[in-house]
Amino acid sequence: MALPRWTIFLLLFLLCFVSKSVEEREEHEEQEEFSEELLLRPLPDRKVLAHFHFQSRVPPTETYGRHHHLFPKAIYQLVHKFRIREMELSFTQGRWSYERWGGYDPISSNNAKPPGVELWAAFDVPEHQVDASWKNLSHALSGLFCSSINFLESSTAYSAPDGGFRSSTGNMRYGTLPREAVCTENLTPWLKLLPCRDKAGLSALMDRPSIYRGYYHSQRLHLTSTEFDSTGLKTGIVLEQTLTVVLKPNAPGNNMGYSSGSILQPSWSLSSLFGKKVGGKCLLANSSSVYLQLEGALFSELNNIQKENERYNNDDLALKGSWSSPGFELSVSPDRMIKELNSLHEDGPSVLYEFLMENYSDSKLFELGFTWKFPVVWSCPRAPLHSSRFLMGSGNERGAIALSLISTKQSEAFQIADINGERCSLQVDVFQVVPWYVKVYYHTLQVFVDEQPQSVPDVIKKMHVSPSEDKVSPGVMEVVLNLPCGVKSAALTIEFDKGFLHIDEYPPDANQGFDIPSAVVSFPEFQASLNFLEDASSNRSPLLSKLKERSPVLSYTEILLVPLTTPDFSMPYNVITITCTVFALYFGSLLNVLRRRVGEEERLSKIKAAKKNGRLPLLLSKLSAKLRGRPWEPPQSSSSSSSSSSSSLISYKLLIKIVLVAGVAAGWQYYFG
Amino acid sequence: MAEISEAPEASKDEHGSPVKNISDNFDPNTMRKSKPGLKRLILSLSVLFSFLLGLPLLLKSIEIYRAPLPFREINALSNAIESSPLVFPCHFRAVFVGFDQNEWNADKLRVSILGQMKKFMGDDLVCGTCGNNYTVSVAYFGNGLNLDDKLKDYDVDEHLESVLGSGEINGGKVYTVVVVKRDQEVKAVVGKRRHGWIVGRVSELDAVEKIAEIFVKVFMNGGKEEGLIPGEFMPVGADGKVVLSFNLLNADPNDWIYDWDFQKIDEILLAPIIKALEPVANISVESQVLYHTPKSSFSYWDDELKSYILSTKDLPFFVNSNEWHLDTSIAAGGRSKVLQVVVYLPSAKECPLLLQLPNGEISMTNGFISPMWGGVIVWNPPGCSRDTENIHPLGHKISHQDLEKIFEVFMGQLRQLFGLKSNNLYVGTSGTFVLLASERGFTEWELDVLSRQHTCFNLRSCTTTLGSLSRLVQSLPRMIIMDEIGKQVKFSLEAANLAQSNASLGIYDASAVSSRLARSLAEDAFFHPSILSVSYYSFEHCFAVYSPFFLPVSLHVILAAVREWRRFKQERKKYVAWQTKSGR
Repeated sequence: MALPRWTIFLLLFLLCFVSKSVEEREEHEEQEEFSEELLLRPLPDRKVLAHFHFQSRVPPTETYGRHHHLFPKAIYQLVHKFRIREMELSFTQGRWSYERWGGYDPISSNNAKPPGVELWAAFDVPEHQVDASWKNLSHALSGLFCSSINFLESSTAYSAPDGGFRSSTGNMRYGTLPREAVCTENLTPWLKLLPCRDKAGLSALMDRPSIYRGYYHSQRLHLTSTEFDSTGLKTGIVLEQTLTVVLKPNAPGNNMGYSSGSILQPSWSLSSLFGKKVGGKCLLANSSSVYLQLEGALFSELNNIQKENERYNNDDLALKGSWSSPGFELSVSPDRMIKELNSLHEDGPSVLYEFLMENYSDSKLFELGFTWKFPVVWSCPRAPLHSSRFLMGSGNERGAIALSLISTKQSEAFQIADINGERCSLQVDVFQVVPWYVKVYYHTLQVFVDEQPQSVPDVIKKMHVSPSEDKVSPGVMEVVLNLPCGVKSAALTIEFDKGFLHIDEYPPDANQGFDIPSAVVSFPEFQASLNFLEDASSNRSPLLSKLKERSPVLSYTEILLVPLTTPDFSMPYNVITITCTVFALYFGSLLNVLRRRVGEEERLSKIKAAKKNGRLPLLLSKLSAKLRGRPWEPPQSSSSSSSSSSSSLISYKLLIKIVLVAGVAAGWQYYFG
Repeated sequence: MAEISEAPEASKDEHGSPVKNISDNFDPNTMRKSKPGLKRLILSLSVLFSFLLGLPLLLKSIEIYRAPLPFREINALSNAIESSPLVFPCHFRAVFVGFDQNEWNADKLRVSILGQMKKFMGDDLVCGTCGNNYTVSVAYFGNGLNLDDKLKDYDVDEHLESVLGSGEINGGKVYTVVVVKRDQEVKAVVGKRRHGWIVGRVSELDAVEKIAEIFVKVFMNGGKEEGLIPGEFMPVGADGKVVLSFNLLNADPNDWIYDWDFQKIDEILLAPIIKALEPVANISVESQVLYHTPKSSFSYWDDELKSYILSTKDLPFFVNSNEWHLDTSIAAGGRSKVLQVVVYLPSAKECPLLLQLPNGEISMTNGFISPMWGGVIVWNPPGCSRDTENIHPLGHKISHQDLEKIFEVFMGQLRQLFGLKSNNLYVGTSGTFVLLASERGFTEWELDVLSRQHTCFNLRSCTTTLGSLSRLVQSLPRMIIMDEIGKQVKFSLEAANLAQSNASLGIYDASAVSSRLARSLAEDAFFHPSILSVSYYSFEHCFAVYSPFFLPVSLHVILAAVREWRRFKQERKKYVAWQTKSGR
């Protein structure tokens, strides 16, 4: 009897030990991870948002070593060479419409970017090496992504934000190139960082003509590394690559008139949007799924319509093999439906439909079709204030920048949120970089609240200004505004003088004007996050955890185009030529005057008067004498020529003048007519 | 002038008759009475001279900065390198064991070995060899060397090492060949240090020939065969660095995905090789695994071999530069050499994939090299000929045995890229020699050969670069030359001279290192960004800026001076004429 008891005990002990060791091994053997996800969202203005999200993660070098199987070598080397703590690079074409496509969700505050290239990076190097690292990094990225990021190398092109931008923590640099054109040559190297490139998986959808035809296109690369942190949790390097596009589905002609007068939203499918279909996941991805998101406003609207319809129309029109829901129909039934938890918006929770790509393959293509049943009108959640920026003033000498913040009607919610304080207020951070040739006078800053001028200290809680230095650094303005809750509109104006550039500092197309990069307006009291309930069993989706992350609501303003006085670029040569001519004339005439012999000239003119020669032959002989370099001798045999009368001389001169003028006129006509 | 011209008339008025007296023989056109004035002449000449004096000042003001470059030293160095190829001193030693000393004495043997070596060497002096700068010594050993015939080759090597020493004396390395007379088949082996031995029934005459061949062909020339990569193609970057970039290419991950444990290869197998090659090149290693990388050439199915065959003539198209993004390394500097090592896993459609040699045989290594680019090794996953449906694509790993095999092939390829033999047999005119392989990939005598060659190649390349730089600088007189370039050139020359002196002393490693430094500094100077900068502005530009002023002004000034001078001469002649006429 004792023996079995012992064995059981031993077995239990062993089991314990084994399970413990297994756990330890699991902890120890961290693996590289890669995931691909696509989020689709119908937008209120008949367009569709497609948001690709790829995430690669590598465990820290200390435990994992420096050889990788999935993680791109180039990025790993970049991180290690320049000791990057965090970096974000985005290439964008088009402008995100905060009013129509939303401004209060994680995608708009993280993935809506200013047009052109935006790069910011935080380094883990001593303060004095940050600039050198930034310059080298800009060159390396420029080579890696086939673009002119290397223009950010010049100290006039980047700035060091001090808390106004993404609550930065030292050793950070920020730069933008508003005029950088974005095209496939930037996308291809970006795709090369994915293990499957665009050969398999969700990235196979990226048909170049389709995605560049869209209304908005933003390709982003964000990496965080804990490689150089001495303390804290080490997560290694996380590379997040996103591509956000706004596409317009080609609407087939189903404009059936509805009683409400609104038009049915166009139905779409993946192949109609992208012109391609997906055949399964990228085999190297840990997770691969497509999400369809319906915003809270849309979902509640659909539910309302469904309730109305149920009263008199109860039969289900669902087609075979498709999946029907109130208000719309999907050609593929989703694997899972996730509802948002404790939504901050009053619109109600938004909904995610998940499609797992594991279930599809080359033989069974994934073709998601979305068909509307009823015309629906809804609007996206918007940021508390809509920001826009414009130029004031005219002429080439001075002007003013105005930043206007207009309250969006729907956001009454925030008033309640902040009422606990005595004086309810709304905090707005503004981060603005101005190139040095736009010389901003910071003392002219004026603030208007509800169209009433306010004293600056009342409204501005904190202001950090680093004035521009000519040809050295741009001006940076970081302002924290404290606006009253019920604010309808607010405006900031600041005046500037236009500077003069050196002739070789003008870009090739100087007459187009100069760009002032977008200002960043953020609302730190408002956190955009979508908290979807995830069941613990399924592997955590990086996209969903990204959406869950609380990030301040952020929006970029328009890029301003400032026309500067452009010189005539041949001017230096003209100036040189004209000055030299004047000098030469001066020298020549001075010398002539000094050499002049007045008496002799008088004597000669007397002789001339005595002889009374015809002037032309005299001039000619004088000229030829001059050319030959001999002193002029009055012609001996010229007595006969004196017969020519003075009247004929005048007519002769007149004739020459007329011919000359006519010649000039003809020449003018010929060359410029 | 005015007063001179008016003089005749004035005199006429004042004293009428005296002038009338002379007026018969006074012609105002050819004569004058007063001395010609100098005022205007001096004035215009002084303006001209002040202009001429100002010219150097102007030239000084528009001068651009040019650091002085040691052109003479550069020329001297290149002349020295060209006229006499770099020759290293070598010392050879032949040890005879169990021979009768009466028949051949040591000196006689020495002379005959020297004679044989001359025959093997030929006439042309190859840079990086010992040239004629070698010595041979012969020694007889009784039976002191206890070379048991039961000993393995590697043990013999170790034994010789312990008996003969490491083979280094001041002034170069000593290479030794031991000849042991014994009653067995003749066997010639070259060890992994600096020893070789010949064991068996050999006469002195045979031995001499074999010894001479080992000395010349193996120890001096590295046992190279004709037609291998010549020394000019050294796979080392201009900054003396090599990046070994290992790539595992999964042609089609839908069929199978293989992974490797590169960490172990790096730590266990590659580290000693990198250490061994340190004097020749500074090597760093990186790796990546790529997917969806099909090859771009075609292969055909062979029924007999039950495999897909790729013939050698298709090899140029094997590397698919569109899909294989074997990027250049960010970690490496701009002028490092990246050597790609590609392990290619064929997809199920083309598995097993074999390389066919031109003679119809199947390649043993299943790999090939491309000089200066790297090598490709095709590895067929096990069981790829079986039904592929059953294989799950994920979670495979190349086994350790296979990795070692791949690594062996890679070692052969690396040796070939460096210009050495990839197999361990040398077939010479006097017989075959077994070359023992070192666990470090390169034996000591091979490393000596490489060091010598690299020193020579680096110095040559350094002198050509410096020569080009000096020609360029001399041909563009208006180019800015920074101080830094001058410094780099100076240091490069110093390093080159140091390498030369080290080479003549026979310190191979140090000379290789300093020659590498010389080359990289020379390249740095030549590719200095300021040389290609915009600040270079041409003489034409200078001319265009200054000519609008100087052309018209100089015309005025010169013309004025010339005319005044002429006039002065003419008037003086008149005065002289009057003087002679008046008889004064």
